[in-house]
Amino acid sequence: MKIEMNNIRKSFGSNDVIKDVSFSVEGGEITALLGENGAGKSTLMNILGGVLQADTGSIVIDGKEVHFKTPAESLEAGIAFIHQELNLINDLPIYENMFLGREIKTKYGSLDLKKMYDQTAEMFERMNVDLDPNKMVGDLDASYKQIVEICRAMMTNASIIIMDEPTTSLTDSEIERVFKMMKTMQEHNVGIIFISHKLNEVMQICNRYLVLRDGNLVSRGNVSDVTTKDLASYMVGYDVRTESLRRHKETDEIGEEVLRVEGLTNDHHFRDISFSIKAGEIVGVTGLLGDGRSELFQAIFGANKYISGKVFFNGKEVKVKSTWQAIKEGIAYLPRNRKENGIVKDMDIFENASIVTWPMFSKHGVINTEKHRQKFDEQRNALRLKMGAMTDNITSLSGGNQQKVVLSKWLAANPRLLILDNPTQGVDVGAKEDIYDIIIKLAEENIAVVVLSSEAQEIIRVCDRSLVMYHGAIQGEVKDEEMNEHTIMNLATGGEKDVERSEHQI
Amino acid sequence: MKPELEQGSNSTPPVKKRTFVEWFKNRWSNDPLFSILIALIIMVILQTLTLGFDYDSFGEWFQAWSNNWLNILRNNAGIGIVALGMTFVIMTGGIDLAVGSTLVITGAFSMYLLDTGAQGILGAVGITGVPAIILTVILVMAFGYLLGSLIGVTVTKGMVPPFIATLGAMMIFRSVTQHFAQGYNTTVPTEFLQISSFKIGNYMIMPIIYWIIIAAILYYVSKRTTFGRQIIAVGSNEKAAKLSGVNVDKVKLRVYALMGLLVSIAAIIQVSRIGSMDFSNAGRGMEMDAIAAAVVGGTNMLGGRGFILGTVYGMLIIAVMNNLLNLFGVPPFLREAFKGIIVIVAVLLQRKEKNA
Repeated sequence: MKIEMNNIRKSFGSNDVIKDVSFSVEGGEITALLGENGAGKSTLMNILGGVLQADTGSIVIDGKEVHFKTPAESLEAGIAFIHQELNLINDLPIYENMFLGREIKTKYGSLDLKKMYDQTAEMFERMNVDLDPNKMVGDLDASYKQIVEICRAMMTNASIIIMDEPTTSLTDSEIERVFKMMKTMQEHNVGIIFISHKLNEVMQICNRYLVLRDGNLVSRGNVSDVTTKDLASYMVGYDVRTESLRRHKETDEIGEEVLRVEGLTNDHHFRDISFSIKAGEIVGVTGLLGDGRSELFQAIFGANKYISGKVFFNGKEVKVKSTWQAIKEGIAYLPRNRKENGIVKDMDIFENASIVTWPMFSKHGVINTEKHRQKFDEQRNALRLKMGAMTDNITSLSGGNQQKVVLSKWLAANPRLLILDNPTQGVDVGAKEDIYDIIIKLAEENIAVVVLSSEAQEIIRVCDRSLVMYHGAIQGEVKDEEMNEHTIMNLATGGEKDVERSEHQI
Repeated sequence: MKPELEQGSNSTPPVKKRTFVEWFKNRWSNDPLFSILIALIIMVILQTLTLGFDYDSFGEWFQAWSNNWLNILRNNAGIGIVALGMTFVIMTGGIDLAVGSTLVITGAFSMYLLDTGAQGILGAVGITGVPAIILTVILVMAFGYLLGSLIGVTVTKGMVPPFIATLGAMMIFRSVTQHFAQGYNTTVPTEFLQISSFKIGNYMIMPIIYWIIIAAILYYVSKRTTFGRQIIAVGSNEKAAKLSGVNVDKVKLRVYALMGLLVSIAAIIQVSRIGSMDFSNAGRGMEMDAIAAAVVGGTNMLGGRGFILGTVYGMLIIAVMNNLLNLFGVPPFLREAFKGIIVIVAVLLQRKEKNA
């Protein structure tokens, strides 16, 4: 099957989101669709998926022009769209989820559970998936949920599957599982459009690529002909730096100890954690998803509990019981999953940037707006924040700029310790570099910065040294030349530091 | 993207003069309170026309018109105050079903304190006259605040869903009141009645003044204080609020406590207006009216968005409509249906373009 999208245009009001884009995809190919946030990827795919209609242009499937008015029509034509937020019901078993909206009924009108179960089992066998169709979806990890979605798409006889950032919340081994699944689909002659920000993954799994920038298709071709650096520069329109930003600090250059943790333990997530961080240091904490690093630092920040161990802040022991207490002590925590934990979408940009400091910049509970405004104006330039009016809604900003707003609310509080949990998640290439610059600048201003990330590359490029966690414990610490993907991966999967330190290959 | 809306800078004249239609359209789609205000104005015009505008005897007509209005406002002041508190509660993502029962129990408490007969507590310890009145007002408000705090603690520390916690409180408060105040026949001292019936000029407008003052205070609180803005943060994204150092439990607790306080004020107004309270019927359905006013006024039932001014409009819309139905002679049993229609239509109107 071959799908062509010809001369597609789409605008919202006066804003042209897609400007005359044409491309085609075929069965048996994995095509990467790349672009920064706001480049028009989702709009384009929503047109293909029948969620939106193009203003002009045509969609041609195997030489026949089609018009999708609803997602159902698109699905009918063999195009399945797997959204980033999966459409699965946690409280139903897998096999019922597979037939959501297209349930098989008996002649009496009740659900034919047996038939649904059998067909699911059959599909799993065909796709080499080792899953019990009876299992509740809520009990599955993120990768298996993705796989259930893919199988469901296959169930509808889809010949083109659109996957919107399927690997964002997956661990490395889970990503491997999904990639294996994608390869299997490819063998079944299914075409995949793979939307992702992770260029390494694109290099690994995709055959072809399309790059959108500001609604234009700026580049396309075979993945084997390009490097990640090329792709990144197509996306942003200029050369993106990839060099290491790591500083080389002598021990006597860094400041006094800011945070020391001794034997910190919580029943489920982490155990016997000890480390210390000095002012002006950038310390990475990495590992696989579920290694407990978020929970550990949330506990230090007072958002989570620990049952034993001690936390010393600026040399004196503190028992942090709540987040506002932590803030008063000078700890800041930028959470992961911005949409869920970072932004308040009923509030405008300015309010999102001042939420932390409301109690600090207020008198008798009345907020000092003027002081907030001054702070925000300073931050805005320093963070290179691109925005309209301060009273625009936070959701009017791109992911990178939203993240900068969230960061600015913490900087307004003048923290001594800044914990950044996945700071570049869902952030485009340009903003990512901005955030790295900010991290280094803050460290130069003598703030202790902790960067939690599962992207080893990020840690290696920015941090002075890094702790690697495995199953809730610190497996090891790396610095200087030990800081390479190979050693980090070894530690993160429960291994030891490699003696021979072999160079990592892409 | 829409053209930017200038906010709070009415003083700068626009370069190009916009037509009324453009201005109206802009307002309609950008100002959430605008459609509510328009609806209110339409209803007031309708009501005025129904009363029959008489140009020849303007003075008399105006007298009748304003009397009718003062009546409407006076009758709705108590519930209007409760609806303001309800707005805050709903904005945190909660709900308070217990307001009607809190009204009864705080009302009964005021009578228990004040009774001029043998049963009055304050009288028994020798406090009478104005000091007794002042003390009563303070104690009743404290009692309301305490009951609200109890609900707040149940919701936050006990982690009982607000619907359940307040449903329970609703049953408990009324039942307890009815049991202990069974056949309770009180007379409230006349000084107490002055709280509501004191006349300014020739007008009995004290309840209206209380309503306006409280609305003004809460408007300020919602716009300018830490507490007011944290309410929105908690209701819109509790997790993000907590991770930004907002003491979520404290905000919620204070919201329920404030609700209890406002209900006790409504109770004082009611008792001082009528001189008594029917414990089995007073405040029944009050929670639904308060919720309706908040919802008509643009408050999001899921929490986050809410407007104090909107709730005032919402209350007035419902009140004017009741008045209209009265003037049209619509049978009493049918009036609730109209209220229901208003609530649903109001929410439908507000469901304009909402981007996710």
